[in-house]
Amino acid sequence: MITLRQLASTVILFLIGSSSLFLLGGKADRDAWMSVFVGMLAGLMLLGFVTLQIQRLEPNRNLIEIFKLYFGRTAGFVFGLLYVIYYSYKSIRNVREFADLSIMFLIADTPLSVVMLVICLIGGYAVMGGPGVFFRMVEVLLPILLLIYVLLYILLFSSGLVDFGRLQPMLERGFKPVWDAAIPEIISFPFGEMVLFLMFWRYTESSDYGQVASMTIKGYLFGGAFITLMNVIALSILGPFASWTTVPLLEATNFIDIGDILERIDPLVSLLLFSAVYVKLTAYYLGASLAFAYLFGIRLQIAALPVGIGIFVGSFWFKSYMHQVNVGFEQNLKYHFPIFQIGIPIVLLLVMLMRKGVRSGKGRQSH
Amino acid sequence: MSNDATSGGSEKPAAQQSNSQAEHTEHAGQVLLPDLELNIERLQRFLGGGSDIVCRTLTHRSFDNEQYAILYMDGLVDGAAIHTMLLGLLEDANRTNELQDDGSLYNHLMDRSIAVGKIRPVTSIDEAGYAMLEGSTVIVVGHSLRAIAVDTAGGESRSVEEPSSQTVVRGPKEGFTENLRTNTALVRRIIKSPNLRMDYKVVGQETRTNIAVVYLQGIAQDDVVQEVHRRIDAIEIDGILESGYIEEFIQDKAFTPFPLIQNTERPDAACAGILEGQVVIMVSGTPFVLLTPVTFVRFFQSSEDYYQRYDIATFLRLIRVASFFISMLLPSMYIAITTFHQEMLPTSLLVSLAAQREGVPFPALVEAFLMEITFEILREAGVRMPRIIGPAISIVGALVLGQAAVQAGLVSAAMVIVVSFTAIASFVIPAVNMGIAARLIRFVLMILGGTFGLFGIMSGLMVLLAHLCGLRSFGKPYLMPISPFVPGNLKDVLIRVPWWAMRNRPKNMASKSNLKREGSGQRPDPDREGA
Repeated sequence: MITLRQLASTVILFLIGSSSLFLLGGKADRDAWMSVFVGMLAGLMLLGFVTLQIQRLEPNRNLIEIFKLYFGRTAGFVFGLLYVIYYSYKSIRNVREFADLSIMFLIADTPLSVVMLVICLIGGYAVMGGPGVFFRMVEVLLPILLLIYVLLYILLFSSGLVDFGRLQPMLERGFKPVWDAAIPEIISFPFGEMVLFLMFWRYTESSDYGQVASMTIKGYLFGGAFITLMNVIALSILGPFASWTTVPLLEATNFIDIGDILERIDPLVSLLLFSAVYVKLTAYYLGASLAFAYLFGIRLQIAALPVGIGIFVGSFWFKSYMHQVNVGFEQNLKYHFPIFQIGIPIVLLLVMLMRKGVRSGKGRQSH
Repeated sequence: MSNDATSGGSEKPAAQQSNSQAEHTEHAGQVLLPDLELNIERLQRFLGGGSDIVCRTLTHRSFDNEQYAILYMDGLVDGAAIHTMLLGLLEDANRTNELQDDGSLYNHLMDRSIAVGKIRPVTSIDEAGYAMLEGSTVIVVGHSLRAIAVDTAGGESRSVEEPSSQTVVRGPKEGFTENLRTNTALVRRIIKSPNLRMDYKVVGQETRTNIAVVYLQGIAQDDVVQEVHRRIDAIEIDGILESGYIEEFIQDKAFTPFPLIQNTERPDAACAGILEGQVVIMVSGTPFVLLTPVTFVRFFQSSEDYYQRYDIATFLRLIRVASFFISMLLPSMYIAITTFHQEMLPTSLLVSLAAQREGVPFPALVEAFLMEITFEILREAGVRMPRIIGPAISIVGALVLGQAAVQAGLVSAAMVIVVSFTAIASFVIPAVNMGIAARLIRFVLMILGGTFGLFGIMSGLMVLLAHLCGLRSFGKPYLMPISPFVPGNLKDVLIRVPWWAMRNRPKNMASKSNLKREGSGQRPDPDREGA
């Protein structure tokens, strides 16, 4: 249903997603890109040793089915519901980011509720099509978006804005600030979010788990490298201003001026950024809807409705964009998301290993 | 569902033959009786006794002066064939000395005296009647329980002419006609392969329209061929007047602006499709044949792409793809940018646009809608009006609606430019039905662009992309080879590589076991030849 290439494309675009909106690891100042890199490596460990291991043990089940199988009906339901809420909440955050930034940069006078409604509708349309349609969409989008990114970077370089001197001196205050900025924030966002793919991996065409894992990791490495590169460029254009701006990349492109024709391309750049956010919010919306559908044993098309309404209504909870960012970076990333991205998966993996161990132990005895 | 498919498919092909209807509805009262007068009268009554029924009674000098009658529908038959046949029959009727051992006039006529290739026995009134309706001549023999249907189909039909749509500068100038037999022959003349299969069907209770399903055995995918048969057999309708009827019955999804089945008037285009594994559906009475399965990118390919040099073809194709997007997006982008994102425009351009729009009483969205609707009306008028009135429409369209509207300050000159450019761009797409899709989507995007700016347009495009990703044509993903991505098939999407490099058939259309279409190492290389 999903080809390996589509899987890798989705991993890449999902990771880029909303991370292009923020300066990740801003607390490490000009060493932020190193934090991103460290975060990426740490996330890779998490992905390779926990998330993918869960899937390896049960290659033909999604997270909800695994919960039900290993935690029993009641506990499995509770954990499943928690993940529906977690995925929906992530989607809510992305809807809100998308909406607030659209109003900020594109359509100043439109009411927030209308913009959010439109976003939920376009997300819902893709979700209704099911994972097949969504992953195919991403496969089409990825090369287009990457091409525009490359063009954008060529423009940035040719405008003479990029100055790698702004990255110097490196590790001025030692490695600790880099580490502090990376753990756990950058694992939680964006690299630990790969936990969502526990809902998707089972739809891949290939029955060979090894291929699925290696394509996921390839996509992850590409996405991680891309985010790091984006961070480097944002830092080397904006220098110390990078951590103050709302959307660093958008701020950077404001400086582009080529031949008096390409003066203000930031609406186009914001479209580029928002497309990636759209992919991310739809991925979460789809994950939440799939989880909901499996939890209650209903069709995806029906599950998408309550989840969509939930996401739309939930998006009103934040008082402002700043509130949303604040809640995210100050609380969620540190205390809440690690539970879902690291805590529960590790517990789940241990339970699975124990159960499997018991089972195979029994098997050995009987032989 | 697949079970139904196979059972339905296996039963129905028996009913393909043109005499099937007769066999189905046959009942005791319809069999031929050994009474010539009565048979003729019943046959005339069956056909409603119109003045176009020609009946000629002959008497054979042998066989006890037994009488027999020749009946046909005037206008449906080929005059020359009738003439030859009658001449032969008359000559035969006047001979006496060749009395046969078997002694039956029916056998004598069947075996020895009809100067036409295709004859078959008929045994009932309605079978004979339907044969006549298809242009056959029926010979009813006095004492026999059987009659003879002689295929003399012909009559007036349009000759093979240059197609009026999908014209090319270089390439064959033949086009399909309304005659099914001519059309199948045009294809056979290009593909002289014994593997070329033509399965015939009859659809429509009243029109009894002949349909041919044409494909290359071994290259077309078997499941697609079966599915085509199954879907056509499932059609129940009184009449089929054009292949568009069939198209709407058999396409995968009903609600989509995009064509899920390709059509063409060009035999070379149809044959190119057959060679790549497509199944062609020909419908009697229309020069437009259907090709399926089809992908989105095929609608941007013109047959000329393959006759011109590949670099020119690539350039032209890029122009076409660009035109598609211009036709779909330009007015909405103009509206969005002038309404919401003026900062994107260079200052001097912005000033000039603002000056033009100063006197215009409408918002850009309304202005654009007025002009677009006007243009659509003009275009429709251009297609429907009698040819003689053409110049009048152009004067009214160009001068009154264009220039005068600008001078009167109703619309801005920039808007007229945008609308005209969009209109011209929409004609570049070789497939008319894809052009229409772009036109329809344009209006939706204009509303989105006028209400939500670029955000709205992007939302619209995302929905469009999701829609396209969900489409299938006979089970094959519509966006192939872009998604699912098939690297080998990208040689004929945005670029057209030289023929010697296009070594495989498209994976989604051609049979998996038979993808290779040309030998290796055919790149022209003078040095190698010298060695």
